[in-house]
Amino acid sequence: MTAAPYLAIALILAIIPLFLSTYGQGLMTRFLIFALFAMSYNVVFGYAGLLSLGHAAFFGAGGYAVALLKLHAGVDLFWITAPLGLVVATLVAGLFGIIALRASGIYFLLVTFALGQMLYSLAWNVKWLNSKGMQGITGITLPDLGIPGLSLDTISFYYMVLICFIISFVLLYRLVRSPFGLALVGIREDESRMEAVGYNTWLYKYTAFVISGAFAGIAGILFAYYNFFVSPKHLGIATSFLPMVMAIMGGLGTFLGPVIGAAVYVFVETFASIFLPQRWPLILGGLFVLTIMFAREGIGVYLLRIWEKVSHRYGIAES
Amino acid sequence: MESLRVERLSKQFGGVWALNSITFSVEVGDRVAIIGPNGAGKTTLFNLINGQLSATSGSIYFFGKDVTAMPTHARAHLGQARAFQLISLFQKLTVMDNVLLTFHGATSSRFKMFRPVEHFTDVYDKTVQTLKTLGLWEKRNEPVSNLAHGEQRRLEIDLGLALEPRLLLLDEPSAGLTREEGLEIIGVIKNLGSNNTVLIVDHDMDLVFEVAQRIIVLHYGEIIADGTPDETESDQRVREIYMGLE
Repeated sequence: MTAAPYLAIALILAIIPLFLSTYGQGLMTRFLIFALFAMSYNVVFGYAGLLSLGHAAFFGAGGYAVALLKLHAGVDLFWITAPLGLVVATLVAGLFGIIALRASGIYFLLVTFALGQMLYSLAWNVKWLNSKGMQGITGITLPDLGIPGLSLDTISFYYMVLICFIISFVLLYRLVRSPFGLALVGIREDESRMEAVGYNTWLYKYTAFVISGAFAGIAGILFAYYNFFVSPKHLGIATSFLPMVMAIMGGLGTFLGPVIGAAVYVFVETFASIFLPQRWPLILGGLFVLTIMFAREGIGVYLLRIWEKVSHRYGIAES
Repeated sequence: MESLRVERLSKQFGGVWALNSITFSVEVGDRVAIIGPNGAGKTTLFNLINGQLSATSGSIYFFGKDVTAMPTHARAHLGQARAFQLISLFQKLTVMDNVLLTFHGATSSRFKMFRPVEHFTDVYDKTVQTLKTLGLWEKRNEPVSNLAHGEQRRLEIDLGLALEPRLLLLDEPSAGLTREEGLEIIGVIKNLGSNNTVLIVDHDMDLVFEVAQRIIVLHYGEIIADGTPDETESDQRVREIYMGLE
């Protein structure tokens, strides 16, 4: 890739929050977390072609690990909570992958859905997984980075999330450009041919599923800190839908699509809920329908096409 | 030396025996055609040899090794390559990606996750070389679905050959091709070295009689004739049930 445009965007992301209110900074944080979540989902759905409806299980598992450490052990040192959250999310993905990948197509979708809902009801019913007298775990505070004299506030937490996002972005980008990533696309297009030319397709799908779950776990860990609260909802279907909607809206199977989808989702959600507090899902749903009808390949791809047309007409040299 | 041996191989779909206790063996370098009317079990036999289906009973040996329970990808690494009856290239992917994927399948770098595909120079150079030889270099960034049918067929077979397989399974290589394209395919098969064993299923009798040294005739899942083209042509049963002659 030519790194220049990416560096420019990273720089913009680094500068913008300096001019925003605390509320705006929080919004940017939310956007980055969901962008990471959607990017992780894109690996299984967009690249490997596996339609999963249980991706929130790994997101929530990461979040719950952080929340439980705080609730039962009072630990909020980031260097303990984050690795543990990552391990928990990865283990859950490793287990669910073994079960779900025995099926394919619509059955895979149903199994992942059922497994996600299982965690949801587990979180709902087991006392140990809830704060006293409520559903979910509250009382999460911003993480302690263990650096003397530094306690996180909204903007420094934003930069922490931005760093996690950039690292994940680079890792995932390299993943989808590697022979492994190309093999996932091959499996999406024609699995039996892939086997005939020597790929153990199950192992590829499983590895992709687990890696994707791990990155969803990172998003979940950051989300728990951002939200100060996790609830069973974050493990179930309502949250599993989010990365799917974002990936489809932004452009499925394109690397930047889910990021754009997440941006659209988060900002439309915010503005719509300011103007129409009761009806904002309606606006979002309408936008989703419009995307499917008029920009089938995703808003991201659509914008790129327009940019190409504009730059072609005005003779702007393409990089 | 024996390349492939099939022993009392059977495959049952529901109540139907698609293959019923088939036994034959093939020597290294043989060019064997498998013919028979529709539903005789030809493609099923290929699917079993290649591992896309698992056998109901019986065994398959590949260079003396029992591969009956081995998954398809492992058989590919032992040196089996297959061109499917319907073109099975990745239609939406570019010509370049198709070749890269096929070649990476044979290397251990296929599972690498951190370096871009283009950095694996051995595979990449081979890909560039192949595309240039086939005259497809100019079209490398077009999706395969933009290629003409004959070009796709040719690409698929040549990819199979470029893997230098010890056993090449060709399922109706000439299906849907013009006469000239068919002749080109015949030429390609004839030029193969004596290390390659080729099994062909085809309805095109010109191609079969041109290429094959031996013909196996399947009928309702059983072998009814096995011999040189001349023997097969004069076999009374074959003439009756397959060629529709009195």
